[in-house]
Amino acid sequence: MNRRVVWGRIAILVVLAIVCAAAANLAASKERKLPWVGIYARALDTSAPVPSSSESRPSSPSSAAPAPAAATGSAPAAAMGASARFPAHPDKASVEIGGDDAEALHKEGRLFLDARRSSVYAEGHIPGARSFPVWESDIDGRVKAFFDEGLDQNAPIVIYCSGGDCEDSHMLAEKLYMVGFNALYIYKDGFPGWSKRGLPVTKGANP
Amino acid sequence: MEQARAPGDEGREPVSWLTSPWLTVRVQIGLGAIFLLAALPKITDPPSFAHMIYNYRLVPGAVVNAMALVMPWVEILAGLALILGVWRREAAVVCGLLLLVFLVAIGVNLARGHAVDCGCFDVHAAGKTREEQLSDMRWVLLRDVGILVLVVQVLAASRRPVSPALR
Repeated sequence: MNRRVVWGRIAILVVLAIVCAAAANLAASKERKLPWVGIYARALDTSAPVPSSSESRPSSPSSAAPAPAAATGSAPAAAMGASARFPAHPDKASVEIGGDDAEALHKEGRLFLDARRSSVYAEGHIPGARSFPVWESDIDGRVKAFFDEGLDQNAPIVIYCSGGDCEDSHMLAEKLYMVGFNALYIYKDGFPGWSKRGLPVTKGANP
Repeated sequence: MEQARAPGDEGREPVSWLTSPWLTVRVQIGLGAIFLLAALPKITDPPSFAHMIYNYRLVPGAVVNAMALVMPWVEILAGLALILGVWRREAAVVCGLLLLVFLVAIGVNLARGHAVDCGCFDVHAAGKTREEQLSDMRWVLLRDVGILVLVVQVLAASRRPVSPALR
């Protein structure tokens, strides 16, 4: 068979695939929709997991870099308030914390954000945590709406995903950092770590 | 060998068993089914598949989503074409190219020790350790080479027309 015919038909198959993909994406629910152009800063970076971002914001407030929060697994100093132990860190997007700190912040009623897929969130999440699935198409809208709530941008916010090599929480932290949130703490053990500690879990689509 | 000959083949060169229509039709259907099965979970959950592609760290961020949206449809169309016996040579070429892409993606990450979940037939993280993932990647390489052999068979056989009775 003529080679041109073969490649012509292959081109038709690919074009048909693009048309089907576009139609399916148009008809998909917001949880399954994807923007055609993704914005993933570390798509070619294999140095995973990402500990914290050193990327600076365009209008980063400044240089008064506070001491980082208590590190992994350290016992929280009960006498100190959250704002003292978990200060704002405008020089970097996020700081990792361990299970003890996450538990302490949860007891204080600090805000928790779940960066996993909404379907996974519905199967079980940290009580009170709000769903911010970074891999779903409406994430930028959610971040904007979150910013519009006018919350204190220097109050600690805990972000988590599935622990281990999961980077979803770092990706969400970067998005929130870019809109001005300065005290983002990543619970590195994530939901599996929380469950392993036998702490309460909530099911369903609501916090 | 006798049954591999299409009626009216007398006087022609005997049909090689490896490219016989009997075998080719079964390989085509099997190959098509593999690609259909691989495409379904990706089509039903593009964000998870995009996450899988991202984890490979081989393509620029801007094209991750486009690949996640289009690639499963290419797999499905090629798979369907093979099963239906329509444009089978073209479909086999597409499957072969996809397999080469998968082999390179897995091979490069294996070589640089970057463990990933394959995302071949399941787009959700399997929660395996790094060592388990690396071991799985070696098996995936072997499996993809095996599937590539099926593609070669279809391509070799598609040089001669399939008997209408077996189509």
